[in-house]
Amino acid sequence: MSTQPAFGLFKRRHAGFKKPAMADAMLILGLCMAAILVVLTLVFGLNPPQSANTGSLMTRFKPPALDGYLLGTDQLGRSLAGRVAAGMPWALGVAMVATSISLIVGTAIGLVAASLDGWPRRIIRMVIDTVIAFPSLVIAVTVIALLGRGFWPLALTLGLATWPISARVVFAEAMSIVQRDYVLAADLAGVAWPKIMVFHVLPALRPTLLTMFAFTFADMLIAESALSFLGLGVPLSAPSWGNILSESRESLVVAPWMMLAPAAAIIFSVVALNLIGDGISAISRRNSGRAS
Amino acid sequence: MTADSAILRALGRRGLELLVLLVSISTLLFFLLRLSGDPAAVLAGEEADAETVALISQRYGFDDPLLIQYLRYLAAMVSLDFGNSLTAQTDALALVMERLGSTLLLALLALVITAAISIPLGAWLGFRPAARSRKWTNALVFILQGIPGYIVGLLLIQLFVVELRWLTSIGNQGPSSWLLPSLTLASFLVPKMVRIVAANTAETMAEDYIRTARATGASDAALLMRHALPNALLGATALIGTQFAFLMSGSLITEVIFAWPGFGALLISSVERLDFPVVQAAVFVIAVLVSVVNAVTDIAFSVIDPRLRTARQSV
Repeated sequence: MSTQPAFGLFKRRHAGFKKPAMADAMLILGLCMAAILVVLTLVFGLNPPQSANTGSLMTRFKPPALDGYLLGTDQLGRSLAGRVAAGMPWALGVAMVATSISLIVGTAIGLVAASLDGWPRRIIRMVIDTVIAFPSLVIAVTVIALLGRGFWPLALTLGLATWPISARVVFAEAMSIVQRDYVLAADLAGVAWPKIMVFHVLPALRPTLLTMFAFTFADMLIAESALSFLGLGVPLSAPSWGNILSESRESLVVAPWMMLAPAAAIIFSVVALNLIGDGISAISRRNSGRAS
Repeated sequence: MTADSAILRALGRRGLELLVLLVSISTLLFFLLRLSGDPAAVLAGEEADAETVALISQRYGFDDPLLIQYLRYLAAMVSLDFGNSLTAQTDALALVMERLGSTLLLALLALVITAAISIPLGAWLGFRPAARSRKWTNALVFILQGIPGYIVGLLLIQLFVVELRWLTSIGNQGPSSWLLPSLTLASFLVPKMVRIVAANTAETMAEDYIRTARATGASDAALLMRHALPNALLGATALIGTQFAFLMSGSLITEVIFAWPGFGALLISSVERLDFPVVQAAVFVIAVLVSVVNAVTDIAFSVIDPRLRTARQSV
């Protein structure tokens, strides 16, 4: 059993191993879907086709698969396939920056809280609980209204509004890790706490952080598109998925397909990330179960 | 520890949290408004002339030192004086409170729908997790979990309003117009809730006492009703407490989509118009509401589950 490869997908399946194989399959499927997204972003997203930005009234509201428009055209005759592709860097970029901020700040504060005790720890925990209990979208819309729309205001606001979620998870996980024997040994050997946290506790958090990265990324993607949909995200002229959805609402009756392409792009990305997150967490649970 | 003192502790903790929340959020709003440039110009709107800006600046005391302004602002908040709405010229807090009922109605309907769907479905899924039909349902729930709530709302409108013309999608026009917004809001929570209830049920079904009960001849229905469901419901109640903030975020966007007359839609339109008194009043009311709901679930918990009373003691 201990020689089982990390990806047990190609291993002969025993009756008792159905679940692990399923976790591997989820992770691989999720990674493949994510790879498709990254490739599409690099190939089409960063260099969108001409038809994404310029259209003509002659080509407005073409249904999908007609006259060479794969996903149809919008109210200005622009290709929806092109626009959704051009929206990828916005969606993935904002989500990537926001997730990184959220995880870095959250991990740092979670680790600090775990290495403190008494009042300082209680204060940090209270701040974390308090911010989590408040609807982050309410903070985000207000802050963005003041800072203005755009890539950086949006990414920073989303990252800074959601760090407590990562901080709480990291804190809980770190609290159980510091009780392990090897951390105790390092402590007894006289290693300073900041060093213990960075070199002994942080590496043990890797599966947790990877899982959190996937789920937070999905949340940020949804938040970005939701805020853009509300008109409080990326600039109104940007071809973000939320903006396309919001434009599609005005043409629901004449062009119902306008909504489908950006919605499918969002759902595809979120499902990919959920598969990755659930896959990693199931595999790490299986591995830790085997180790003990 | 007695139930009473547990409740008092929970209330005290939530009260303190609320205080911290209100002070920090209003401080954030205060300084952001001033960081974003001339607050008088922001409040006056884009088309205002210099005279109006000067008038507003004088009226709100923007010429005074920052610290004085901040203290005055906090003092006004303590007395629940948020000022008048800049667009409607009426009391900002009153405007928000008018909308409270609509938002609560929507949230309550969404919670009822969430419970009605996810408790039976979750219990069914968790009762025999390995069965084939359960696996397919699980996969379906997994995909549904990937659909953001507001997209569910748009799809519902497309289907029931545009294609079938069965329902309306604008505002509150009686019970038939409640269905789509509350379904949309429920869709923010349902997949998560189904998975929690299913996991709790599956966990309970693997317990030794279930095997014992089964060995003594208890029927499936009895096992489900007497053991699995009560535990699952406990988890579901906990989730409502922790997810209420998420539900409020969802209701912002749901209210905008359906032009629902709640304070979420009011907040968004006030944010767009930079009607700051209303934004502050709305944020204040949301903070109080979230704290009250959390305090109520805390108390409900220490009443329902005696284990928590002893558990909290040791923390």
